[in-house]
Amino acid sequence: MRLLALALRRFLWMPPTLLGLTLIVFSVSHVIPSDPARVLAGENASIEQVETLRRKFGLDQPLPVQFVRYVSDVVGGNMGISLYTQRPVATDLIERLPATFELALFAIALAIMLGLPLGVVSALMRNSWLDQIVRLVTIGGLAMAAFWLAILLQLLFSMQWNLTPVQGRIDGWGPDPITGFYTVDALIRGDLDTFLTALRYLFLPMMTLAIPAMATIVRFTRAGVLNVMNSPFVFYQAAMGLPRRVVIWKYILRAALIGTLTQIGLVFGNLLAGAVVVETVFSWPGLGTYAYNSILQSDYNAIMGFTLFTGSVFIGMNLLVDIAQAVLDPRGR
Amino acid sequence: MSQDFTQPISRRGALAGASTLALLPAAAAQAAGRTRYITSNNNPYDILDPHQVFDIGRIAIRLNMYDALVRWVDNPAKLEMWLAEKVDISPDGLVYTFTLRPNVKFHDGTALTADDVVWSMERILTLRKGAYGLFSDVVKPGTTKAIDARTVRFTLAKPFAVFMAVLSELWVVNSKIVKSHDKDNDWGAEWLTRNEAGSGGYRLKRFDPAIGFQAERFEGHFMPFGKGAIDDADFRVTMETATRVLGMIKSEFTTTDGYMPAEQVERMKASGNVWFKEAESIRTFYFIINSAKTPLNDVNMRRALSCMFDYDGFNNNILGGTVVRNPGIIPNPMWGAPAGLKGYTYDIDKAKHYLSLVKEKIRPLQIGAMSGYPQSEQAAQMLQAGAAKAGLEIKIVAEPYTTLAAKLDDPERAHDLIPLWRSAYFADPHNWTGFIFHSRNFKAGNASFYKNARIDELTDQALLITDQEKRRPLYEEASRILLDDAAGIFINNTKFYGPYGKAVKSVRFCPIGDTQDLRWIEMNT
Amino acid sequence: MKTLLRLFRDRALLAGFVLISLLVLAAIFATPLSNFPDHVSGFDPAHRLKPPGATFWLGTDRMGADLYSRLLFGARLTILISISATGVAVLIGVPMGLIAGYFDRWYSDLLMRISDVFLAVPQIVLAIAIAQTLGPAIQNVILALSATYWPFWARIVYAETRSLRNEVFIEAAIAMGASPLRVMVLHVLPSIASSIIVRTTIGMGATILAAASLGFLGLGAPPPTPEWGRMIAESREFLPQAWWYATAPGIAILLVVMGFNLLGDGLRDALDPRIRRGG
Repeated sequence: MRLLALALRRFLWMPPTLLGLTLIVFSVSHVIPSDPARVLAGENASIEQVETLRRKFGLDQPLPVQFVRYVSDVVGGNMGISLYTQRPVATDLIERLPATFELALFAIALAIMLGLPLGVVSALMRNSWLDQIVRLVTIGGLAMAAFWLAILLQLLFSMQWNLTPVQGRIDGWGPDPITGFYTVDALIRGDLDTFLTALRYLFLPMMTLAIPAMATIVRFTRAGVLNVMNSPFVFYQAAMGLPRRVVIWKYILRAALIGTLTQIGLVFGNLLAGAVVVETVFSWPGLGTYAYNSILQSDYNAIMGFTLFTGSVFIGMNLLVDIAQAVLDPRGR
Repeated sequence: MSQDFTQPISRRGALAGASTLALLPAAAAQAAGRTRYITSNNNPYDILDPHQVFDIGRIAIRLNMYDALVRWVDNPAKLEMWLAEKVDISPDGLVYTFTLRPNVKFHDGTALTADDVVWSMERILTLRKGAYGLFSDVVKPGTTKAIDARTVRFTLAKPFAVFMAVLSELWVVNSKIVKSHDKDNDWGAEWLTRNEAGSGGYRLKRFDPAIGFQAERFEGHFMPFGKGAIDDADFRVTMETATRVLGMIKSEFTTTDGYMPAEQVERMKASGNVWFKEAESIRTFYFIINSAKTPLNDVNMRRALSCMFDYDGFNNNILGGTVVRNPGIIPNPMWGAPAGLKGYTYDIDKAKHYLSLVKEKIRPLQIGAMSGYPQSEQAAQMLQAGAAKAGLEIKIVAEPYTTLAAKLDDPERAHDLIPLWRSAYFADPHNWTGFIFHSRNFKAGNASFYKNARIDELTDQALLITDQEKRRPLYEEASRILLDDAAGIFINNTKFYGPYGKAVKSVRFCPIGDTQDLRWIEMNT
Repeated sequence: MKTLLRLFRDRALLAGFVLISLLVLAAIFATPLSNFPDHVSGFDPAHRLKPPGATFWLGTDRMGADLYSRLLFGARLTILISISATGVAVLIGVPMGLIAGYFDRWYSDLLMRISDVFLAVPQIVLAIAIAQTLGPAIQNVILALSATYWPFWARIVYAETRSLRNEVFIEAAIAMGASPLRVMVLHVLPSIASSIIVRTTIGMGATILAAASLGFLGLGAPPPTPEWGRMIAESREFLPQAWWYATAPGIAILLVVMGFNLLGDGLRDALDPRIRRGG
């Protein structure tokens, strides 16, 4: 019941939060001393040409009017037309979404697969040489600038060793979209070559995103396991004469992993944020590059559309995390 | 006998086929004997509509999938009759009557007629995008007439000597198809953004704004293709320089942009897999000087600035000699560029001398460099360092072109100095003089806010006469005046170093579109 | 076991302290330490893109300026950005968290909801948008970062203040007639100071990373500012030959951020024994 109330409360706060977000981004993007109509019209445009475009996109209206109009449009499911791609922002976002999600899911999968075991082992073998190395890597992974890591990986893996492409998502054209995930689509169509090519392209951006995410997971897992190990509960179990192995598997790991799993939602959120920079470096045709280009082009509608979209995903994710935490670990509430 | 003979071959063939297919799916296309040409560029091919876009970055779309009445070829660029086979110009230079070639077909097989030309002109004038600015002064809506299926007549509002030159941007679209996709009276703008309705040498096969486009040769084109013509063409977006270079070295791409840093050109040469086409283009690099503001309205201030730039250090060290010093605004190879023009040299003492002659109070200046364009930033640093030596303080602000461009309308908001290129959209000296220095074009081309009655007079006069030899001295004089007046800091003209894979036999360079007009490329077969 | 752990913790603190001291020293003594002090804005085009060697210890950049000297001067910028950005964020976030946490009125919820709005989207996205709006300059990077990072302080201060609200010593102070301001400044703030210090130390590292990202994306200081992120961005055109170009500033960022993180971790253990086990 309390859980339901919490979820409901959070859910009800979502629209005002998003409205606030829209207001912030709207004010930010509309005080830009830049003129999208001018940009759109092109280098050789005449003044009247610029004015026509300005009227067409309602840029000649007072800002509050523009804001109200925008919000009512969004409520009606219309995020406006991107000034640069000249297409509905919603269409653009949907088209770019699979690229970002494919990358993020691969990265988070890798981060979990490496991070969880490393964190557990590191905690169980606390202060061993392995633990020290894992901790050093963790500290480094969290301190590394993503764009520099990306360049470093490009330098080594593609330019020096010639193992992976420097950037891009596939050479030429991806498989005809079913899910929009190149790897999945290639497998569905039984096209192993394309699948492998897609993997090769995924590798570097995936690593770039996965390393800091893995560092976070290692940290949480390690701390979680240590926490449980030191709890009176485990102390009691051990004192009862249960074998260490059983204590570890049955009590410590379960409790610790539940704690970590609830963090993964947040890690995933951070990963989407990291995608803005990482996608730019790798020219990955996802939401991140879209956002970055829109910002550079002062493409208001696209910037607001992206922010609203990410905001919703973020809030939704936080909500899920809270619920998961409450369900899995009632003590935490 | 025949069985003994064919069996091992077919088996070997099958084996070889299987193994190459496993490695390179692209090999399948080549197996069919089709030539494939992959261009990898650092700008998006995101809008296909030839009337909405007017830039060099996306010119491949227009050149290859569409045709115009006339077309620029070769270097120095010549204007050739293209869709038109004949033109009559009235003595007063106001009426242009074109006769179209017979049997020109659109990609859907229907005939291209004078109606399509008229409709395309009206579409440009209505959409008011792309190349609209080239025509808006002289072609009024409704004045273009189809006399018969093969005759079209333009009646200009006033004489316009470069009319033929700018007609290269009147891309003819298939009016029936585009009309059928009209939505809310948008003249098919939304549809044509993502589709193609042209008659050009190549027709669209596939398009994704995030990737690029794919086109195949259109056999029904009126102009026969030469031996070794490209069958399949790919144009892809690849932002990172290093990727494009690596792709060239590994023969993943057939060509990429011809304006790379000297180091990367060397690297591609060293690989042995790439050959280069070298050509002097017509694309001048210069600093816009905002002459509307003090003390930049003082000729001595502008001259001082012109003496603070280390031309040699920039052109030969920073750019590694990949450019040619261009003392005036008109590119050296362009007619109208005066021979033996002597530009300013890097001379701090002279700069100080000119500074001492400046009447108004000298204030710290600001350069607006184009972020993302290293050459623009580097030039800004070069001028800043030179100015520091002469005791003048200059600040640099790096902004994306979009932000810079937004301020060009307003002399108060515009930066004092902007380092950028003036590319060729049509090969006529007007592109570098009247268009960007005539005082009528304040807020619409003349971003220097430069006003000089003699320049206005010369460039106006040159637009009224069509004889190139009579126009030449006018532009030569204009170029000299602009230099003497230091209307800008004129630095270099770009050299084109086009990299090509070994599969390419020859290319024909034209400064409008470089070598992106695919029909002039010959592949090894 | 415990002592071993403590030793390692102390070692982390020490390592962090050393790294940050090096940064501060580099910044203070940039001029005497550098080989080419004028290469902050000056350069020598004849020596562009030279690999590391006797004259140019870390090589030269695209203009022919000494990367080692520029790196040293970049340290000043790094300190300036991280201190002022986190400073402003603390000045906004801490009072907001205090007020929202101490009082239980309608605006408490509102204040926290406002901070939620800022947390509802990745910080870097907002920072990019703001930085682009304000135009590329150091002070704008600082503004953009403090405008987007303050909610972290607001949140932590809010949570801690809330939990202190019912502590006996706070209630005692209120019962003795202390004004809310007095209670907040004299009683609440000292009790949560350690959390703020730890959060701020780690926040410094985060702002350095974010500032470098903005610089990398071309939204930071204009050229020729020796900003580390910008230096890495400039290098991309010349890879892989000029491998040194991105390497030096990249390692500098790594070490400094690592320094702040280690310092923060170490301080947390030293100042706040309650959460030691949590790591």
